[in-house]
Amino acid sequence: MPDRLEAGPGQTSTREMISVIMIVSERPEPLDLLYEEYVSALRAAGYTDLEFIVVAGRDDRRLVRPLRRLAREGEPIRLLESAHSVGDATLLRSAFGHCTGGIVAVVPAYRRIEASGLPLLIRRIEERGADLVVACRSQEADPWSNRVQRRLVHGLVRRAVGGNFHDLGSGVRVMRGEVIREVPMYGEFLRFLPLLAAREGFITEEVVVPQHPADRHARIYSPGIYLRRLIDLAGVFFLVRFREKPLRFFGLFGGSLALVGAVLLAVMFVQRLMGQGLAERPLLLLAVLLTVIGLQAIALGLVGEIIVHASARHATNYRLARYPDDE
Amino acid sequence: MLSIAVPLHNEEDSVVPLATAVREAMEPWSRDWELILVDDGSRDGTARLAAAEAARDSRVRLVRLARNYGQSTAMQAGFDHARGDLVVTMDGDLQNDPRDIPRLVAALEAGGHDLVTGYRERRQDRVFTRKVPSWVANRLIRAVTGVPVRDVGCSLKVYRREVLDRVRLYSDMHRFIPALAATLAGASIAEIPVRHHARQYGKSKYGLSRIAAVLGDLLTIIMIRWFREQPLTLFGLAAATALTLAVLPAAAFVAKVAGYLESASLVVLSGVALCLVGLASFLFMLGLIAESMLRADHDTRALGRVIIRPVAP
Repeated sequence: MPDRLEAGPGQTSTREMISVIMIVSERPEPLDLLYEEYVSALRAAGYTDLEFIVVAGRDDRRLVRPLRRLAREGEPIRLLESAHSVGDATLLRSAFGHCTGGIVAVVPAYRRIEASGLPLLIRRIEERGADLVVACRSQEADPWSNRVQRRLVHGLVRRAVGGNFHDLGSGVRVMRGEVIREVPMYGEFLRFLPLLAAREGFITEEVVVPQHPADRHARIYSPGIYLRRLIDLAGVFFLVRFREKPLRFFGLFGGSLALVGAVLLAVMFVQRLMGQGLAERPLLLLAVLLTVIGLQAIALGLVGEIIVHASARHATNYRLARYPDDE
Repeated sequence: MLSIAVPLHNEEDSVVPLATAVREAMEPWSRDWELILVDDGSRDGTARLAAAEAARDSRVRLVRLARNYGQSTAMQAGFDHARGDLVVTMDGDLQNDPRDIPRLVAALEAGGHDLVTGYRERRQDRVFTRKVPSWVANRLIRAVTGVPVRDVGCSLKVYRREVLDRVRLYSDMHRFIPALAATLAGASIAEIPVRHHARQYGKSKYGLSRIAAVLGDLLTIIMIRWFREQPLTLFGLAAATALTLAVLPAAAFVAKVAGYLESASLVVLSGVALCLVGLASFLFMLGLIAESMLRADHDTRALGRVIIRPVAP
């Protein structure tokens, strides 16, 4: 277990190594400048034992070229490249396998926060014992459209999944290595990693850091992107709330539909006994459809229970607290 | 060795009296024992007090979960950390009496059982919110699981290690341990009366709202009990039922086309028939998926799922 330590500039001997991972995608800025910004901020704060891992798809090879030069000059940069274009979360997961640091920082390949904010996040892990820290961009200078979006989105997230995060989209997270090893992550769930980590019992925190001036532009995306995020959120909602009891979710949904359908059928059955015809009523179709969909949902829930039951025997489904004797 | 596993969630008032009561109850016990306090993500002083107990007495151990997982998972954590070949579970709120533990173990060993569960003879609880729902639940669970256990809600139980090795708890499955033990491990189960005290400290964590959840879990138990090994049977039967039901509207449809029916609507009849055929094929395919999932699960091939012992000739 790593030592808990009193951090402060200059005390580097007992500190854990910091791995910074940067995924090159979307709209990268000159990477050498970005590297300089982050690394000088970290060094100024006393973090000299660090490595900078840059992951890029093959199409982004030319963007990485300036970093290659820096690496040859002896900077602690490691470049990783995927032969195919794959999703960010997949790249990140593969990059984690190359990390040697006990604390891992993930930063986007463009400016979202002032680089001076990064050491604040790391310090929160070292000093306060957090397992994962999310950067929350201060929004004083952000356009109003961004503020409104952020409030709406995070209000929805809080209601659906819980947690108390205000800026999951900042893209900047610092975490202990064990978070990476123990929290399943795939697809676009990277955005919701803090929620999943909190669910696994990790201590997650948020630190307000200054927003980078380059980030203060209105962000309006295409409807498809909003839809994808919404679908991701639905997935996280299900995983967090119902992973161990799928039948409760499907049963509630299917049971209500089937109940409505059954009541309609019963009413029509009584009316049929009283002489009203059945075969010409479109309502019959609706009632049967509702019942059928409801039963399908319940059946899916049962299969979900089989999956959970079968997999429960193979895995430990809990985590122990990190410091057993702590308050 | 005997392990006593106790899940605790926000029970700071109970921790010290509980440890003391267990120590006193186990005083005459001649064999080794240990008390495992599982702190299930308490937000009060439970973990601190339990850690103090563990520091004071080497027979007491603390297992601290990272967050509140619920009673089933907390119990499983207790089982995982128990070193004994016999494991006792009890509630952390002192409603069970630790003095019953030696009697439970004696019943287990004398009868050659795998699991002995207590039932509360003179229950000290409110009638309408606790006793009546639990009477109904017990009846229902007994009927569905086929395991004649009188008092499902009584946590005081003793298990042999062989049972625990074959049953893993998750979600809210702790209520169904006897059913799961009988189904999954073929355990021999007995019941003896135990004492019950009214809750002295803290708040009850149960209520009427759990009924719907328990009903859902019962459906799962039915699934596990009867169709665990062949889910396709269940889904196939359901599909056949749907298909049979589709015969009626399909026949009416044919009759209408042939001109024997006057007032029927072709759209409605064909729609109803197709819905049911759709349901049937969906259920059948789902059954195939469930079947192949179980085949992929290695445990179905593992040896010794059920406990069997040689008997005297």
